[in-house]
Amino acid sequence: MAIVAQSTRYGKVTRTILAWAVGLLFFFPIFWLVLTSFKTDADAVKPEFLFFFTPTLENYLNMTENYDYWRFATNSIITSIFATVFTLAVGIPCAYAMAFNPSRATKDVLMWMLSTKMLPAAAVLYPMTFLTKNFLGIYDTHFLVIIVLSLINLPIVVWMLFTYFKEIPKDIIEAGKMDGVNTWGEIREILIPLAWGGIASTALLCFIFCWNEAYWTVRLTTTEAATLSKLIEGNRAPEGLFFGRLSAVSAAAVGPIVVLGWFCQKQLVQGLTFGAVK
Amino acid sequence: MSNRTLPRLLQSPAVILLLIWMIVPLSMTLYFSFIRYVLNNLRRPEWTTPSFSNWRGFGNYEFVLNNKDFIFAIQNSLLIVGSILFFTVIFGVLIAVLINQSFPGRGIVRVLLISPFFVMPAVNAVLWINMILDPVLGLQGIAVNGLNDIIVGLKDAPLVGWFFSLWPTLEPISFRATQTSAYAVIIMVTWQWTPFAVLIFMTSLQSEDQQQKEAAVLDGAGPWSQFRFLTLPHLGRPIAIVVMIQAIFHLSLYAEIEIVSRGNGNKNLPYLIGEFANNNIGAASATGIFAVILANIVAIFLLRMIGKTLME
Repeated sequence: MAIVAQSTRYGKVTRTILAWAVGLLFFFPIFWLVLTSFKTDADAVKPEFLFFFTPTLENYLNMTENYDYWRFATNSIITSIFATVFTLAVGIPCAYAMAFNPSRATKDVLMWMLSTKMLPAAAVLYPMTFLTKNFLGIYDTHFLVIIVLSLINLPIVVWMLFTYFKEIPKDIIEAGKMDGVNTWGEIREILIPLAWGGIASTALLCFIFCWNEAYWTVRLTTTEAATLSKLIEGNRAPEGLFFGRLSAVSAAAVGPIVVLGWFCQKQLVQGLTFGAVK
Repeated sequence: MSNRTLPRLLQSPAVILLLIWMIVPLSMTLYFSFIRYVLNNLRRPEWTTPSFSNWRGFGNYEFVLNNKDFIFAIQNSLLIVGSILFFTVIFGVLIAVLINQSFPGRGIVRVLLISPFFVMPAVNAVLWINMILDPVLGLQGIAVNGLNDIIVGLKDAPLVGWFFSLWPTLEPISFRATQTSAYAVIIMVTWQWTPFAVLIFMTSLQSEDQQQKEAAVLDGAGPWSQFRFLTLPHLGRPIAIVVMIQAIFHLSLYAEIEIVSRGNGNKNLPYLIGEFANNNIGAASATGIFAVILANIVAIFLLRMIGKTLME
């Protein structure tokens, strides 16, 4: 451990202080959002109440009244959960086949799937509006949001599951075949229990991406299926009048997800770099 | 069932869904980009329904290329994406190196650092433009006012007062103008994506060859030359990947621009497409094709790099 021995005690203290300072600096805006959410709208813009003020829960208690928060939150929860379940239902068999019965085309299929993720959404904005509004009549429905969220996350989900499944020894699956278990049985009895950790973290990441999606959920909904992204986007410029209540609704929209995110940091690297960084 | 049929069957739902998702809307965009197609036109009502008889060839592309907004949107997209990449990579490398070694509370610092990445884009924009960057009511305005008060106070101080009387009164910056709102977007997205860069660089640093480092130390290499000749080359590949992935994500940046810049002239390609799509679908589609081409230039390199590690 030559490097540790080399760095002096002084250096270590400086490093610790610096690292903490950077961490706190990056967290500060979130802290500020939460802090502001406990101020009244009037107090939130007064310099004299910057850090010391009488905290109030008023903003949280009035979220439904002020913004109809729960309607949007319910939409976010429904669409994100169903999209995650649907994506996994389509993704697990696909990744299973790719990992345990790879053909020469498997690599190309995977790459092609990833390439769909790289298309800019805005390029197909009007066709999507046209198709869903005039042709299919599913504009502003939960069904549409769920399908779109599933499709944009499917490549990443297949990719992540594929890398997890690849680590499972083929012999175990083969042994199942010998015992006369069919494919569905293999997936259910052998694969899912073995890859449970990987599947869970993939699901978690997929859920987070669905929750935070901010293009299609805004452009393809109006009221019925509008999610939290749409709610916040619609209240973008309060001109200082409603800092308190806007902070509360924002904090409620991101809080649970930030906490969930803490649990899947490791998978995030994999999921976002498509495994290109190890 | 043969050995090949079943795996194909299992893959087919995913493949078919993605195939439809990719081909149908994109070919419609391609088609619309070659015809005259507007949503409202009283004098030429025949242009309001898509049809081959309204064929315009490359006319929409010409129109877009000669449009001042398009040139501005391209420049602005490049400014925004380029700046974000520059800052996230620099901060990312520095922070990753800083927290790569153990220190008290490292786990907590990691959690604090990664948090911004999970904030939804709409909240990110609302939070920064209102609560932090607002020139009057945000922290920026409050900080500038506070600083001015301190300077005014110091002007009356004995001995050093003359020095502070030379100082001008500071003006808070409004981040809602055309150019400054682009800076606001750069700031907020850099805040959100630096954690991503840190996370990836840290993952990569953990696989750095420690023996090589120790040997370098024995040879008398200082911290700077260790960083310059060992760590930085080791990070070359992750940096390339961070740059490409972010380029693809940020070229389609939308919520932040929409929230910060609505109506003030600041725009990028996706935003311009949205504007065109309010009426001129032909132009919106041609712009969309340009956006696809731009993203593909980056995507090809990225996919090649991913492909190399895929089957290892």
